[in-house]
Amino acid sequence: MSATVAERIDQVAAEFAELEPRERLELLLEFSEKLPELPERLQAERDAGIGRVHECQTPVFLWVETPQGRVQIYADVAPEAPTVKGFVSVLDEVFSGATPQDALSAEANLVHRFGVAEALGMTRMRGLQAIAHAIRRKIAASAA
Amino acid sequence: MVKEYSHPEVLVSTSWVDEHKHDANVRVVESDEDVLLYQQGHVPGAVKIDWHTDLQDQTVRDYIDKDRFAELCSSKGIANDTTVVFYGDKNNWWGCYAFWVFKLYGHADCRVMNGGRKRWELDNRPWSREPEPRYPRTNYVAQEPDHSIRAFRDEVLKHQRQGKPLVDVRSPGEFTGELLHMADYPQEGALRGGHIPGACNVPWSRAANDDGTFKSAKELEKIYAGEAGLKRRTPVIAYCRIGERSSHTWFVLQYLLGYPKVRNYDGSWTEWGNTVGVPIERGAGKPAEKEAVRSGT
Repeated sequence: MSATVAERIDQVAAEFAELEPRERLELLLEFSEKLPELPERLQAERDAGIGRVHECQTPVFLWVETPQGRVQIYADVAPEAPTVKGFVSVLDEVFSGATPQDALSAEANLVHRFGVAEALGMTRMRGLQAIAHAIRRKIAASAA
Repeated sequence: MVKEYSHPEVLVSTSWVDEHKHDANVRVVESDEDVLLYQQGHVPGAVKIDWHTDLQDQTVRDYIDKDRFAELCSSKGIANDTTVVFYGDKNNWWGCYAFWVFKLYGHADCRVMNGGRKRWELDNRPWSREPEPRYPRTNYVAQEPDHSIRAFRDEVLKHQRQGKPLVDVRSPGEFTGELLHMADYPQEGALRGGHIPGACNVPWSRAANDDGTFKSAKELEKIYAGEAGLKRRTPVIAYCRIGERSSHTWFVLQYLLGYPKVRNYDGSWTEWGNTVGVPIERGAGKPAEKEAVRSGT
């Protein structure tokens, strides 16, 4: 039995908390490098502009599917935006495989849990928060 | 029609930077939108200056003051006579922003690496993943802020009432007022959408080529003097959402086209669109703006 979303958020937050603020950016960079490639079947949608998160200045494309009642996130973020990519990868780690109900009952403001607010500044934090909200909306829509 | 940039010396090429990046009197500075890009790889020897955490005051909505600017430069090994070369992501958007703040505090020799990160990458030049280098401390002395390049709200209002030119460098959707604030985050945006009455709309990125370099003087002249009808001798104010994209346009007008009186309104739409009682216009503006809508951002 995998951990709940709330527990996974705690786990990832603990990983960040162990590090010095500078090293937290390195960890976020590592997360950015392990975000899976977008499956081929969704690349055409992306190229047609579908899945774009419009709140974000950076081109971010997100899809949420819930096969067998489990959240599956697909994302495409430009390599020129490693911060956003890293954060999407964190969200993928905490949400994927969970039930929509579990995902939506976990805290919505999780972006503040990773100790990177000072290094990123408020404007960037808001952008990341918008992505977290977009994922939650897509989870809710997919499960509806 | 102008054939050359008015101040060609402010632009340096990637090959110039590659050759001079370790010169004692040169300091290469990376400024990005994305805070991880420097860690992901930077021009060898470059230091990092973040627009948000280094250049802005974290309490008051303002830039760091003169003393903190001097401390920042001293800590990065920048002396008053250092040639500072800025570069970054997104067509040097943040590079121009940092350039503007350095000019605000009177730094004499500022340059921009034409094409920024994108051009460096396209040229297959080396990236360093080393930690930020430390340079010998300097005793930097900053000047009082130069408000001839910075516009404040009341000055913008006066400027607008006098019918003087304003350039709104946001996307057409933001300009017309159609674009909504960020979902779930109304406080991020403004309470009203639209633009400052009389402003023309020239999205900032129109000044850049696909490889991140600036368009030629002739092409820029066509956009800003031709389409937008900006007269060289009339004072111009540029704005966007928080004053970052407009610092790019400020750079283009002041240094590449040689407009003598250009100010950046850093309060921009997040101040104007939230201010009680100031005039706002919605929908398409002057004819020049319609051209911009067709060609996109």
